[in-house]
Amino acid sequence: MTRFMINKVAQLLLVLLAVTFLSFSALNLLGDPLFNVVGPLAELDCDAVEAGLIEDTTTTLNNQVGDCEIVAEARAVYRLDEPVMKRYVLWLGDLISGDLGTSFKNDLPVTEILKDKFPVSIMLMVMAEIVALGLAIPLGIYAAYRANHRADRILSVGSFGVLSIPNFALGVILLYLFALKWQIFPATHDDSSFFAEMKSLSLPAITLGAGLAATYQRLLRTDLLTTLQEDFVHMARAKGMTDSHIMWRHALRPSLFSIITVFGVNTGALIGGSLVVEQIFSIPGVGRELVQAVIRDDFPVVLGGVVVIASGFVVINFVVDLLYSWLDPRVRTT
Amino acid sequence: MADTQLSVTDLQVRFPTDRGVVEALNGVSFDLEKGQMLGIVGESGSGKSVTAKTLMNLLPRTAEIDGEVIFEGEDVRAVARERRKHFWGVKMTMVFQDPMTSLNPVKRCGEQIAETLRYHLGHGRKMALRGATDLLGQVGVPEPAKRVHQYPHELSGGLRQRVVIAMALACEPSLLIADEPTTAVDVTVQKHILDLLDRLRREREMSMILITHDLGVARGRCDDVAVMYAGRIVERSATETLFNESRHPYTDALLRSIPHIDQPSHTRLDPIPGRPPEMINPPVRCAYAPRCRHAREDCLTSIPTMGGVTGVHEFACHHPANTDRGDAALAANVAVGVTPAGLHLTAGAGSE
Ligand SMILES: Nc1ncnc2c1ncn2[C@@H]1O[C@H](COP(=O)(O)OP(=O)(O)OP(=O)(O)O)[C@@H](O)[C@H]1O
Ligand SMILES: [Mg+2]
Repeated sequence: MTRFMINKVAQLLLVLLAVTFLSFSALNLLGDPLFNVVGPLAELDCDAVEAGLIEDTTTTLNNQVGDCEIVAEARAVYRLDEPVMKRYVLWLGDLISGDLGTSFKNDLPVTEILKDKFPVSIMLMVMAEIVALGLAIPLGIYAAYRANHRADRILSVGSFGVLSIPNFALGVILLYLFALKWQIFPATHDDSSFFAEMKSLSLPAITLGAGLAATYQRLLRTDLLTTLQEDFVHMARAKGMTDSHIMWRHALRPSLFSIITVFGVNTGALIGGSLVVEQIFSIPGVGRELVQAVIRDDFPVVLGGVVVIASGFVVINFVVDLLYSWLDPRVRTT
Repeated sequence: MADTQLSVTDLQVRFPTDRGVVEALNGVSFDLEKGQMLGIVGESGSGKSVTAKTLMNLLPRTAEIDGEVIFEGEDVRAVARERRKHFWGVKMTMVFQDPMTSLNPVKRCGEQIAETLRYHLGHGRKMALRGATDLLGQVGVPEPAKRVHQYPHELSGGLRQRVVIAMALACEPSLLIADEPTTAVDVTVQKHILDLLDRLRREREMSMILITHDLGVARGRCDDVAVMYAGRIVERSATETLFNESRHPYTDALLRSIPHIDQPSHTRLDPIPGRPPEMINPPVRCAYAPRCRHAREDCLTSIPTMGGVTGVHEFACHHPANTDRGDAALAANVAVGVTPAGLHLTAGAGSE
């Protein structure tokens, strides 16, 4: 077991290293890193400014800081005069200590910018998964009970119906009906209290979770039908257990593999989906921030967001791996 | 006659399928006395497992069941309808063929045994686990205290089947049905498991139904044997009687397909020449007639009913083997070299 864990953690660290390196490369190897950080300012010939040959093209808002000072600061912060590998190692060190660099567009540390954005996005995604699992598990079990009966057929048609509606369309419909027309849910984001925030995230969570619920429900139904054919289920019935006891205590756990796999793999799509949904519902989350950062060419913020999201994705799939071994003890020995 | 514990009368089971209605059981009747061991023997597809599953209420909901099953004075099918708890698993339990698959792979062995104790007897977690450890000891699992914490995949096939047996015996049932409990384990382990079952049922004064392909397995252990063919019991008697005075030509063929009758063997029965009978829309005739060397015209037009001495040695055959009538039928068929059903009797097959 411990050996198994050591292996898994080592794997995790390797993947995280690769992910951070790829993200770092995007900033430093694609194009001119200085340009990525400060934008067109990078083209200013500061040596010439210093030599008094040309004027500093100071364009910052209050004109208190010269452009060349900004460029010099960016060079220092991003250690642009060091060799790439050294830069990566130092950058990684900063990353680990929680420093994601500075945005030269609004002069704030990236962590500062993203700090309040992540909790909202995470809350949205957690709620979406709760909606998805909360619907899919009971409905999947029900469909397996009533396999090929009318209820199962209706659920099957319903699932494919939901799956065929794109996220953004569903979001717009829900927003229109429940927030604008009937005003059951707020149309704008409200984080005055935890409960208010939960309420205003409900429609977005349903938007994100509906498709997932449909996928999970179908997967669970299929897996359950397979499990229910297993001898140990007959054995449990021969032991006199009731159908519901067998369903919850024997059949459910071995039937969760597909759901768990899709849960892990789908996290990427969920993040992508939340990007869209945050736009539709004006949620001040990471997705929205990243879109804005891209629009204003704020590469450090984009990089910071991407590194954290990618690492989150890796960590979630690590947890999924551990879940497998919790679900099936046979995994631990192989 | 001692107390009858289980009485099955005219049991019929049909499965509607896309291809037609499978007539899996066509009037199965037998009695089992308290503390006795009944062997049910027959080829694959003869309806042995369906019989067991009917008793255990394990048939799919689509199955159509007729007939009566009385167990210790209770109508088993009524118990099923009323969804009564604490009947199966407590009074009547079953062990399946494959111990690799009859244990839940994601639960510890001890947990699975303890579950039965908690569910039916209301034991607490600790007490149930202690009970599970005891049971493992009783079925001859070494180091039971360690085994309760292991997962099924960590045990050998033989040990797993012992765990399954412990699980089945947890609530001290009065009837245990074992459906080919040793076909999936190593030859060397088979005898140990069978001996264990035999010992346990004697110690606990438990009745048992042992389902097997192997007449040799039945011989040493069962009090009575019922031979099944195409959803019917075709011959039933005390085990020794069956071996010494078999009457149904099918039983006869089964006995002859064991290489050495005197030495209990564990080999699967050789298939008897010919195809197994049609279970969908079977014609009205003796189901064995097409493969039977004794078959005469009457076998092709009517289904033989149970004859012989009721409750002692019964068989369903128009021309029973080892009787004058049967010998005459066989001689007549051998003389023309072919039975009325079209089975060719070569010289070798015709003479004993
Ligand atoms: N659920 C079912 N649906 C349709 N047919 C079935 C079903 N269960 C069993 N049968 C049919 O009933 C017949 C008897 O099957 P059964 O499993 O009792 O045979 P068996 O004697 O136990 O054979 P084996 O030695 O192979 O286990 C077979 O023809 C089988 O195909
Ligand atoms: Mg069988």
